[in-house]
Amino acid sequence: MTQFGFGAVTLEHENTGRPDSDTVDATLAASGDASAFERLYRHHVPRIYSLVRRMVNDDDADEITQDVFVRAWQKLGTFRGEAAFGTWLHRLAVNVILARRETLGTRRKRFLEGDAVLEFLPARKAGPELAMDFESAMERLPDGAREIFVLHDVEGYRHEEIAEMLGLATGTSKSQLHRARLALRRHLER
Amino acid sequence: MSDPWMERLSDYLEDDMPAAERLALEAHLETCRDCSVVVSDLRRVMNRARQMDERQPHRDLWPGIAKRIGATSAGAQPIRRRWSFSSPQLAAAAVLLMTFSGSTVWLMRSAGSLPADGPIAATAPPPATVTAVNVRRNAAENYAAAVEDLERVLSAGRGQLDTTTVRVIEQNLAVIDQAIAQAQRALLADPANLYLNTHLAETMRRKLDLLRQAATLVPVS
Repeated sequence: MTQFGFGAVTLEHENTGRPDSDTVDATLAASGDASAFERLYRHHVPRIYSLVRRMVNDDDADEITQDVFVRAWQKLGTFRGEAAFGTWLHRLAVNVILARRETLGTRRKRFLEGDAVLEFLPARKAGPELAMDFESAMERLPDGAREIFVLHDVEGYRHEEIAEMLGLATGTSKSQLHRARLALRRHLER
Repeated sequence: MSDPWMERLSDYLEDDMPAAERLALEAHLETCRDCSVVVSDLRRVMNRARQMDERQPHRDLWPGIAKRIGATSAGAQPIRRRWSFSSPQLAAAAVLLMTFSGSTVWLMRSAGSLPADGPIAATAPPPATVTAVNVRRNAAENYAAAVEDLERVLSAGRGQLDTTTVRVIEQNLAVIDQAIAQAQRALLADPANLYLNTHLAETMRRKLDLLRQAATLVPVS
């Protein structure tokens, strides 16, 4: 007869006090349960896909999103439930994206100096047929400025974390972000 | 962009500026319309970035992922199994599973944690078939920790549950534990058997599911 035991490890959801379903599914998936991993995929794919699409481009977004989840499957054994699964997956996704961008090649000069970022993105034109929406404008930023803008303003990473991830000085992260914002302000929906 | 303050407006908005400099900039904003407009615009850019919608991929990416991790979605050709249990064991397992499923559903419905009608697993995604299973030590530890944690919740709330409820839960857990032990023993003799690996993972999942549902019966204090 099974008796209820006493566990030392806490896997409780911070709000409900119960183990959250992601953590349970991650544990099952790490044991080889593909259906549990599919549940995790269904739950998290919108956020991961959106991150990939904004960091890279539409053409490669599907393939890189798949790479992220395949990598997550391979690395599930390192997930220990200390952070939310979504946080763990998101950081893994950023690493996959950053590694992948190197193999994609640099289509544009990555970090443009000074006001070159502003010149890269054409000013918003008058008239609906020439107008570019905010998200399209963001996608047209130079790669480096776009990555920093997405990581900082969209995804909430700090400059110090971004500098470490991208291998650059914190000051560069700050100045590129400022340039990206200045460029994008001209494409705000009025 | 000759105004030197223009370069510091993002620092200002991120509160990344010494107090004295911040005061000086705020004084400047009182008189400089250009900088004030840019501050307002930058704020809007930052707010707009936080409000971006998440988007689904244009197509379902799961089949490609499933293929790469060695799993196939439900409906695909089932894996040929190499069964190593005896017929009496199979019959006993079937009876036990039916008993488990029926009594658990009855129990959960009586306790009001499940709707009286509608399929129990209607919202669950279709099961996938594992074709390459790699049980890792970390995963086993995590699984054991999750089980222990749920058991702790149940143990703490045991006194608040009806004795019949506790008995049924424990009986069902015993059935599942027996099935897990059988599968583990069989795997010792045939560790590469895909069916056994799948069966073990599924049975372990059932145990967690039962514990999770049972834990919902414990009133939150």
